[in-house]
Amino acid sequence: MINTPDVLLVLILLSVLLSIGGSRLQEFIRIMSFQGVLVSLVPFLLERHEQTSWLDIGFLLVLIAIKGGIIPFLLWFASRKVSIKRDAEPIVGYHASILTGLFIILVATFISNRMEPVSLSGHQLLLPAAFTTLAAGLFLMMARRKAITQVIGYLMMENGIYLAGSALAKQTHTQFIVEFGVLLDLLVGIMIMGIILHQISRSFDDADTMFLERLKG
Amino acid sequence: MEGLVLLIIFLFLAPFFSTIIQKVKAFLVGKQGPPLFINYFTLAKLLAKGSVYSASTTFIFRLSPVISLAASMTALLFMPFAGAAPILSFQGDVILVFYLFGLARFFTICAALDTASPFEGMGAAREAYFAFLCEAAVFTVLVLFYRLTGSLSLTGYFTGPDVINLWRPEGALLLLVIAAMFMVLLAENSRVPVDDPATHLELTMIHEVMVLDHSGPDLAFIELGAFLKLFFYAAFIANLVLPSRPTVGFAGIASFFVAISVIYALVGVIESITARFKMGLVPKFILTSFALAFFATILVLELK
Repeated sequence: MINTPDVLLVLILLSVLLSIGGSRLQEFIRIMSFQGVLVSLVPFLLERHEQTSWLDIGFLLVLIAIKGGIIPFLLWFASRKVSIKRDAEPIVGYHASILTGLFIILVATFISNRMEPVSLSGHQLLLPAAFTTLAAGLFLMMARRKAITQVIGYLMMENGIYLAGSALAKQTHTQFIVEFGVLLDLLVGIMIMGIILHQISRSFDDADTMFLERLKG
Repeated sequence: MEGLVLLIIFLFLAPFFSTIIQKVKAFLVGKQGPPLFINYFTLAKLLAKGSVYSASTTFIFRLSPVISLAASMTALLFMPFAGAAPILSFQGDVILVFYLFGLARFFTICAALDTASPFEGMGAAREAYFAFLCEAAVFTVLVLFYRLTGSLSLTGYFTGPDVINLWRPEGALLLLVIAAMFMVLLAENSRVPVDDPATHLELTMIHEVMVLDHSGPDLAFIELGAFLKLFFYAAFIANLVLPSRPTVGFAGIASFFVAISVIYALVGVIESITARFKMGLVPKFILTSFALAFFATILVLELK
């Protein structure tokens, strides 16, 4: 039958690719919400060394709520406030972005083949998916002009780190605690981003980072 | 034998399946929609008419509808339905099948250029460009399937001992392939996000503008060829989705029928909820489908 974690990982890769080629902000936010839910589900479907406790399920629900609900909502709220509709004028064009995505997955697969992690028997897709998400997030941060898209890239990078974490760590509680700390940082970061974006758009009537580079202290 | 019977049944049903798209579209906007057999009525009406040929056209213009219909029909001979063995099959027939569609497209483009109408030349240029991008996606999928089964025929993919479908261990990757093939289906058959078959402005059309000057039986052949081509791609995807069956029973055929209907209905839903892309965004769409297939291919190398 279908291997459920693999299906999730493939769907995550699909969302990565869609966001690399995407041009509309609303679409981005929906994809990030989708990806957040999938990413938080993955570690719970991997092979486990201990029984599922209520604590685990609590973590899962909180993760889904933050990654799939609160963060996308904050992003949506920020984009509404600064009234950005689309990510016009990317620094790297859409076609080149897609080709870069292909290159990223080639490199990610190569790297994860070289690493040959011991803890990953039966889940060969996990590490390539993690590296692809991470690198694609980094690429989005570099290749897009709008501040909010760069935040989305950052978010995607964090998703990749979370996947890599669940790939490399043994399935224990300590892993979730570290991830949780990172996630809270991220949440706060995005809240601050929303406020700053609002301030930027009030002072400069555009949230394009190109303009910010020309500021003089 | 059952392959032949199924082929004949589905040849007759292909226009009906296309009606499903129109019905779904009508339903989603709250209309009643055309009658269920509208496509048969259209074909019958067109076949009863005479053809009008411009004095500036050559025999290519008369030849192209016949060739495009014949190519679609020949391609369907190789397609296994519901696990039944197809009528023709040999090692490497996938190349032939997809190039048959290429041949049909070549003659449609030639006929469009033959009319010397500026609009048709524009449509021909677009069709050639987008189809060439689709080919990249299709052949990447074929490379992937070769990697999975070691076979190069549709029979080997869909009816052999090593059947490709979603339910095998590495089936998760086929989700990417299914998404890619669905995008190719939309692009190749000039469905909405790429091209709008119902539009009436030559500047925005791709496939429709190329057949503007065809009339009567010629147009009927082209329409029927288009129905069959859409059916071919739908059957391809249905074969990927359905679990394998060693024998063809009533349940197998029924589930195949349902899967095809669902795919057509999905096309209808997509046509209702999305707007047509700007021409500049179409290559991005098709490149995305290529990228999906490429993703899947690399990941299969990882798995095996």
